[in-house]
Amino acid sequence: MISKSLATVNPCSMCMPMGSVLVFRGIEGCMPLFHGSQGCSTYMRLYLAHHFREPVDIASTALNEKGAVYGGSANLMQGLRNVIKGYNPKVIGIATTCLAETIGDDVPQIVREFQAQEPLAKDVVIVPVSTPSYAASHEVGYRVALKGLVQTMAAKSKPNGRINMLVGSIISPADVRFLRRLFDDWGLGYILMPDISETLDATLSSDLPPIPKGGTPLEDVRDTANSRATLTIGGWVQEPGAGDYLEKEFHIPHVALPLPISLEFSDRLAAALEEQSGMPMPESYERQRGRLLDTMVDAHKVLADVRTAVYGDTEMVLGITRIMMELGMNPQIVATGAANPAFAEKAAEIAPGSKVSMGADFLQIAEEAKSRDIELLVGPFTGRRVAREGNIPLLRVGLPNHDRFGASHQLLLGYEGSMNLVEGMANVLLESRERVPA
Amino acid sequence: MIVKIFEGREDHIRQKGDGGLHLACNTESLAGAVSQRACVYSGARVVLNPITDALHLVHGPIGCASYTWDIRGSTSSGPDLYRSSFSTEMKEMDVVFGGEKKLAACLQELAERYHPPAIFVYSTCIVGIIGDDLQTVCRRASEELKIPVLPVRSEGFRGNKNEGYKAACNALSKLIGSRDYQPRHPSINLLGEYNVADDLQFVKPLFQEMGLEVVATLTGDARVAEIQRAHTAELNLVQCSGSMTYLAKIMQEKYGIPYRKISFFGLQDMSNALREAAKFFASEEMAEKAEEIILRKSREVMPQIEAYRAKVAGKKAAIYMGGAAKAVSLVRAFQELGMEVVIIGTQTGNREDYQNIAYLIKEGTVIIDDANPLELRELLIKQNADLLVAGVKERFLAYKMGIAFCDFNHDRTANFEGFEGMENFAREVSITINSPVWQLALKRAGCAGRGSQLSSMQEVSDDIKEPCHS
Repeated sequence: MISKSLATVNPCSMCMPMGSVLVFRGIEGCMPLFHGSQGCSTYMRLYLAHHFREPVDIASTALNEKGAVYGGSANLMQGLRNVIKGYNPKVIGIATTCLAETIGDDVPQIVREFQAQEPLAKDVVIVPVSTPSYAASHEVGYRVALKGLVQTMAAKSKPNGRINMLVGSIISPADVRFLRRLFDDWGLGYILMPDISETLDATLSSDLPPIPKGGTPLEDVRDTANSRATLTIGGWVQEPGAGDYLEKEFHIPHVALPLPISLEFSDRLAAALEEQSGMPMPESYERQRGRLLDTMVDAHKVLADVRTAVYGDTEMVLGITRIMMELGMNPQIVATGAANPAFAEKAAEIAPGSKVSMGADFLQIAEEAKSRDIELLVGPFTGRRVAREGNIPLLRVGLPNHDRFGASHQLLLGYEGSMNLVEGMANVLLESRERVPA
Repeated sequence: MIVKIFEGREDHIRQKGDGGLHLACNTESLAGAVSQRACVYSGARVVLNPITDALHLVHGPIGCASYTWDIRGSTSSGPDLYRSSFSTEMKEMDVVFGGEKKLAACLQELAERYHPPAIFVYSTCIVGIIGDDLQTVCRRASEELKIPVLPVRSEGFRGNKNEGYKAACNALSKLIGSRDYQPRHPSINLLGEYNVADDLQFVKPLFQEMGLEVVATLTGDARVAEIQRAHTAELNLVQCSGSMTYLAKIMQEKYGIPYRKISFFGLQDMSNALREAAKFFASEEMAEKAEEIILRKSREVMPQIEAYRAKVAGKKAAIYMGGAAKAVSLVRAFQELGMEVVIIGTQTGNREDYQNIAYLIKEGTVIIDDANPLELRELLIKQNADLLVAGVKERFLAYKMGIAFCDFNHDRTANFEGFEGMENFAREVSITINSPVWQLALKRAGCAGRGSQLSSMQEVSDDIKEPCHS
């Protein structure tokens, strides 16, 4: 077994504030503000713009040396004021950075002072979350931001009869649109949060608002306290988050599900929806399921025994590993950059005999891939170097994808998304086999 | 005042013709204004990262290394260690107990694994706060590993990107002069040339053809050994003046090497760069050679450039660049294409840069320092720009507004320098401005709604109401 080197070589994860942006950008009229030095926001804007091919505005409190010594309260207040004046947001999501955390700014307290003294703050909800880069990965940043939103905003009123559908991990705008369609077709009333389907995949129109249209309406965020159940989709191996908070605080039953990737995990979501609605799965989805099966049968010989490495975000990796097992593939490396013991446990259950790593980097993945004769890589584009050097075909899935088109439109969820995945894996393998000179 | 969105930004925006042109610049970015700038670390990283055989270790939490992994479009003709990202990945315990031991251990491990000729160690925000002594750790590592281990003081919050350039130049100056070499006479270094998209292939051979030895390029396609002997050249040609004038001055003081500011972008600037070198060495022969090259190369590319020029002449361009040198070169290049510059801005320009720019531009052109998306958006509308030249962050703003876009940042993939580069640039400008996508209907025939085409969005946007500033 190859152990990870002390230094991280070619990282397989990002930092906490990054995750928070993907939540805040999914709330209607929400502007993210980083409390830290200017670079954090610019780097993450660049990173997300590359991936989504959309403008991504993230404000920064632009902390300087003075702020670092005497505290960043003045910068934070000025930053809030300017964001309100410039962007007219309904919500401001404040994510801290390592700098703000290390100098010890009490952000919730500064926010309270701001709200008490600043007339501009009257109609703006401010959600501060603690996301120091050194504490955990972007996945945790995502979770704490989602939790922070309901903690700040969810309010008990009268029962709404709806289901909270919390998106527990980072998925594409196309995936979010799929979830919406699924609930609509099922006839279930729901609150979907966060919703990046429009905000990070906007249409071209003559209207270009400073904050992109779409996102979960504020009323819905507040109303999550009054739903009859919560499903966290892609919350299977995550620590307690928004759903657990709603359960504890408002006694809303919570079920955390894997991402519906693979036949089994898609069936599991369907079963949960049948239970919630008391209605059978709509016929069109039965047909999709049948088409997925048909595709899996068609492709099974191309994929049989293929030695794979899957890496990236925890929930997505587990779903992909599961479908590989269903297809008779041979996942040898199941890796994530996050430190998540629950992930490791589930991965070992799904793919016994595979090398499971958490806190992985691409040096480790490259060396494992070499020693295990990996034939197919599935994960973000960051694995491209491993692919190039090892001459291994790579199917790009998930975030980040900076070097190909279509990241926003990549549907991986449900029977349909799983079918895309089967076809995607089979096709990159076939292409690479054709490339071998005759 | 052409745009007013944020209080405190008034002095950073001027329109030529509306009074004084003194622009506030080189200040810290305004909190909450979504500056397009990055941080000190980013400034240091862009300057040093193209050194292809060096190991670049980021001492800090993972994010700083993740977001800068292989993002610079600087290519290499050989080693590619610089395209890997190395981090000490500081965790909570390192923040509490200090990261020096981990850093020392990482240096040891990486040196043994990769055998780099030098290591740059970048400090990030948190290192500045917890007070790790990078100097000492690096000095000790250098002694033990017998290679230069150079600390780069690039804590993100210690100023703006310019401070990062300085930190990088300081690290480079420690490397320069540590290796003996006797170049042929005459010899030069190319400073502030980063070999983005393989730019050097159209530039370096021209100087070589003039009989000059290029001792080192800083830092495009550079090797550590070349940089170590850069002090042996007789002249420094400085392209990206924002990032490298500081180093040129250090080298002038320390080694008596004079420098000249030049640019390799645009026919005129590229020609002048060759002439400047010949002039410096006061060589009749070299001057004749330069003219011969200019004539030959111009003849090669002019027919194509003329063809593109016919398709873009009269269009209005907006420029938003990181550094001012490139922005200035762009103004001249657009003149060569018969285009008008209506907006010009930079992230890090200084007073002298903006004075130069003000002199070059026409009445009515807007100059903006440290812009943000809201200001850019309003300016693009008000100045009726047909094209924006900028980087990835600005690309999608332009596209969403129905404005053509040309990437001229460090992650561009088209080479724009030298004579051939200008032809490529002219083509890029033409294909984006003249693309049929802008003529596609926004709404199907018969549908209600204004702004029937993407290209008419700017006129439609005229009624975007003034933002709610107090």
